[in-house]
Parts: sequence; C-alpha cells; structure tokens
Amino acid sequence: MSNPPGVNEDFLRLIQQNSGIIYKICYTYCTDRNDREDLAQEIIYQLWKSGKSYDATYKFTTWMYRVALNVAISFSRRRGKASSTISIDGNNIDVEDTAEHVHDREEKIALLQQYIQGLKELDRALMILYLDGKAYSEIAEVTGLTETNVATKISRIKEKMKQKFSGIKK
Amino acid sequence: MEDIELQKLWAEIDNKLEQAKLLNLQSWALNLQNKEAQQMAKAQHRLRRVTHFKLWAVVLGIVWAALLLFLVFNHLTWQGIFFNISAGTIAALTILAVVVYIWHIVLLKQVDESNTIAETQQTLARLQSSTIRIAGIGWLQMPFYATFFITPAMLHNAGAAFWVIELTVTGLLTSAAIWLYRNIHYRNMHKKWFKILFSSPEWTQVIKAMEFLQEVDEWKKTEFAG
Repeated sequence: MSNPPGVNEDFLRLIQQNSGIIYKICYTYCTDRNDREDLAQEIIYQLWKSGKSYDATYKFTTWMYRVALNVAISFSRRRGKASSTISIDGNNIDVEDTAEHVHDREEKIALLQQYIQGLKELDRALMILYLDGKAYSEIAEVTGLTETNVATKISRIKEKMKQKFSGIKK
Repeated sequence: MEDIELQKLWAEIDNKLEQAKLLNLQSWALNLQNKEAQQMAKAQHRLRRVTHFKLWAVVLGIVWAALLLFLVFNHLTWQGIFFNISAGTIAALTILAVVVYIWHIVLLKQVDESNTIAETQQTLARLQSSTIRIAGIGWLQMPFYATFFITPAMLHNAGAAFWVIELTVTGLLTSAAIWLYRNIHYRNMHKKWFKILFSSPEWTQVIKAMEFLQEVDEWKKTEFAG
C-alpha cells in the first residue's frame, strides 16, 4: 500500500479538532463498543478518501458532518437497529419507558440519548445536527432538505421528545 | 423541556464522550499515514468486494452471451431456426441484463459520501434495489428454454401429444414470464408472493434497500407545519 496522499498534518489536526463529531455520531448510531470502533474507523477512512474532493468553499465541519453521517447511516442499515440500552461510561443503563424512576441528570441524559437512538437513521442525523446547535441553513446543506422541511421535521421530533420527557417531570 | 435544556444535556453527552476517549481516533488517523491501516482498509475492502461481485457477474454474462451467439452463428440453417431464435433471444436478454449490471457498477462508483445525506442515501438505496430489475429481465428468458430444441422436421413428425404438452408448457412459461416482468417492482414488495419469491437472504438486503428508498423519498418531501 502506498503512502496515502491525502493524509498530512492538516488532515490529522482537523480530525483531532473535530473528533467530537465522530464520537457523538458513533455513540448515536451504535450501542456496541466493537461496532462503534468499526464505525469510527470507517468514518476516518472515508474522510481521508473524500478529502481529495473537499471543496474549501464549504465549512470543514459541514463537509465532515456529511461524510460522517452518510457513513453512519449506511453502517447502521447494514448492522440493523440500535438496541434499547445505552452505554456512555462503558456501563449499560436500561431505561424504562414509563420513566417513573428517572430522577437525576445522568438518567435524563441516558433517556435523551435513548430517544435519539430510537429515531429512524435519517431523523437521527437531523437531531444530531440540531442538538449540536447548527442553524437550519447549515442542517439543510448537510441533509439536502429544504430549510422549511428541516424546521418542520425538527419541530415534530422535538414535540414528541418533549411529550416523552414530560412523563418524567413529576 | 425547553430547547436550551435539551442542548445542554446533549453538550454533557459530548463532554462525557470527549473525556472518556474510548475511541482512539488519533491512533487510527496516524495508522493511515503509517501504512498499517489494515482495519481502515476493511471498509474499502467491503466496497471492493461488492464491486468485484458485480464485475464477475458481468464477465459471466458476457461469456454466456458470447457462447450463445457463437452457437447461433455456427448454426445458421433452416433446421436450426428455433434454436437460433431461442438462443439469440436468450443472448439478447443476457446482454440487456449485463448493460443494467454495468449501469449498477457505474452508480456504485459514483457514490460520493460527501454529497448531501438525501442524495447519497438515495443513490445507495437505488443502487442496492436495482438488482431486482435484473431478476425481472432474467424471468423473460424462461419460455425460450422450452423452444430451443424444436426443429422444422418435428412440425411434421411429432405427435399431437407432444404439441399439446409443448404448447401448454411454452404458453404457461410465457404468461408467467410476462406477468413476473411486469410485477417485479418495488410497488409490490409488500405482497405475499413477492416476499416468497425474494425470501432468500441474498434478496433481504435488496428488499430492505427498497424500503429505505421509499423512506428517503418520503423524507425528502417538503412538509409544512400545522
């Protein structure tokens, strides 16, 4: 194998600076540790492979989200649905649907992550971008949807999410 | 729960993941540079394997069509008229299937992961599900396997029983072939006969791709709040 032409200091630096994007996408699309590692490697490989066609007029993160989310969606479709347990610190947390026992913030975080993981692959991508604080215009650039469509879909998903969370506010 | 609270919770997930550093990203990125990226190559290998499978299918299709055409051109006699028409048609349909396969490969090569999610996922799903059209073309060959052995001499010599059986079989195969060609379509994928016909594991992925293609189409449609 020859030395990969696209890999240089800049590439490594940019990957490092934006590694949070890869972490979040891997954890949202895979619950199994081995799967997460496989997915992370596929994402880095595709970033390297697509790096040659990177158009600098786009924000680097916009381009990175596109590649990483496309790889994650395809990966998730190949492996099947995410399970109903979540692992953040290496421990699996089973979250009951009625959520009566959910009290502290840790469990709220777990519930949020479980809710996102339970969404369809395409909607999951939308919510990752939204929760990362991206503007609708940037979400539209990543997804290929119109801004109106982005706003409507996010609003509907949020509405359902709030209903789910309202059950644990007692 | 307010939007800002949701985003705060999400940011906490982000921090936890960063702190945990369970994925050794830098090491993997460096592996690319150090030519030791065996695991990195897994993804590439998977893509290549799919491409190679299609390439082999194309090569086999071309060899089969070439063999049939060779036999046809070396058998251009009145006695071989039924064979020539049958084998020639099978060869033509095989070539058509090969062309569709090549289109498939071109699409596979065109998949660009840095395109928008809608565009990339639609292309991938269409590519994966287009295999179903090749199955449709394949079924069209069926009736010609029941006619290639007929000779003009048999028109005069074969008994009535032979022709009743021959015409019945050919008629049934023709009807079945046309019906299948017209109905093997993703609009029928939820029907029982379709599920039975494509129940083997090889087809499961194609069916899933068709369902996903529908999902992407729906996802792309503009919705209006309210």
